[in-house]
Amino acid sequence: MQVVGEKQNVWTAPTGRRTDEWSECLTQIAEHEDRAAFTRLFRHFAPLIKAFALSGSTMSATHADELVQEVMLKVWQKAGAFNPEKAAASTWVYTIARNCRTDMFRRLQKFDTPLAAEDFTPEQDGEEPFAQLQSKRSGERIREMMADLPADQTQILAKVYMEGKSHAEAAAELDLPLGTVKSRVRLAIQKLQVQFERV
Amino acid sequence: MATFHPQLELLTEHAAGSLSVAQSACVAAHLNYCAECRHSVVQLQNIGTALFESADPVPVGDVLLNRVLARLDEEAPLHHSSPADQAGSNATPALLQRLMQGDFSDLPWRKVTDALRITRLQTGDPNYEFALYHIKAGGVIPDHGHRGSEMTLILEGGFSDDRGTYHPGDFTYRRQEDEHAPQALADQDCICLAVLDAPLRFTGWKYRWMNPFLRLHAG
Ligand SMILES: [Zn+2]
Repeated sequence: MQVVGEKQNVWTAPTGRRTDEWSECLTQIAEHEDRAAFTRLFRHFAPLIKAFALSGSTMSATHADELVQEVMLKVWQKAGAFNPEKAAASTWVYTIARNCRTDMFRRLQKFDTPLAAEDFTPEQDGEEPFAQLQSKRSGERIREMMADLPADQTQILAKVYMEGKSHAEAAAELDLPLGTVKSRVRLAIQKLQVQFERV
Repeated sequence: MATFHPQLELLTEHAAGSLSVAQSACVAAHLNYCAECRHSVVQLQNIGTALFESADPVPVGDVLLNRVLARLDEEAPLHHSSPADQAGSNATPALLQRLMQGDFSDLPWRKVTDALRITRLQTGDPNYEFALYHIKAGGVIPDHGHRGSEMTLILEGGFSDDRGTYHPGDFTYRRQEDEHAPQALADQDCICLAVLDAPLRFTGWKYRWMNPFLRLHAG
């Protein structure tokens, strides 16, 4: 963990955006249509996207490859919209992958909707820098704390996020009562210190 | 600022992309009004990112890389971009404007009772009906239960029921067993978005005869 002062400095300095290798690649693509940077990004992320596509095993290998292509092409086309102050590169790529997969599932089920998954992301350009910083910190914290979650909670989070299953589907597959699934997800989310409004 | 929010479970499924189109659209419309829930969703997506990053990579050959490289010069497909950024404002969420293709007054409203008119919007969702309710100022939706679930988001005006008073941006989610009779606030007509997976069922004797007419129209 870095100390607050240091981090503050890193992200407000005019030239010193918080940089990691993948954010740098995205910036190179956006500014110079840099194919070498794209190739590096591809070698890192394509295997993760494929893993994401195949988890839950409802997607064929052909469709998984199609998804990899579609996501990486979008990464190239939309690199200009990536804002390293708002999110980590991996978060940005994950969001595109999740949206493309949702759309692909809907296409494969042949249901015709006027809405694309990316329409469901509210424009957050008005978000205050403080909230952006908090969001990025929460990402770092979650990454560190994920390793400490009990296995039964990680397993359910993987079903929900990687396999894209609803709580009810996860319950059916794991042969657990729906209430147990819900409470495990909630416990995990509380341990990861996600803030939410109590209902 | 909203007082009533979606349950954590709904926000999680929304963030993971597993919520149905109609329900997800309703949650997304709430996010338009609610900075707190937007913030929660960003954090919930961070969980997805952490799992994504730590997945066991599945090898991808150079054939695929070359195929993508060959396509980089393609024009990006045009995507209808939403109207001006309206996050945080109380204007009708952009997503809804797209489904409505016009103003509330342009929609084909169907009269259900003197106080209630309904119009349905097409989301393509095979399981959930996505409708707008227009309740006259002071009007009551007769006592009803739900055969399934009912998600509601206030867009204009407001209503109150046994749990409280709801204003624009407020979100409710009710299950089968809950019965309620929301009443629009006295000073303004109320327009709300409702997502149902089964038709309403009026429970009061006076309106029970209408139940057969309230069939679900998903899609
Ligand atoms: Zn909220």
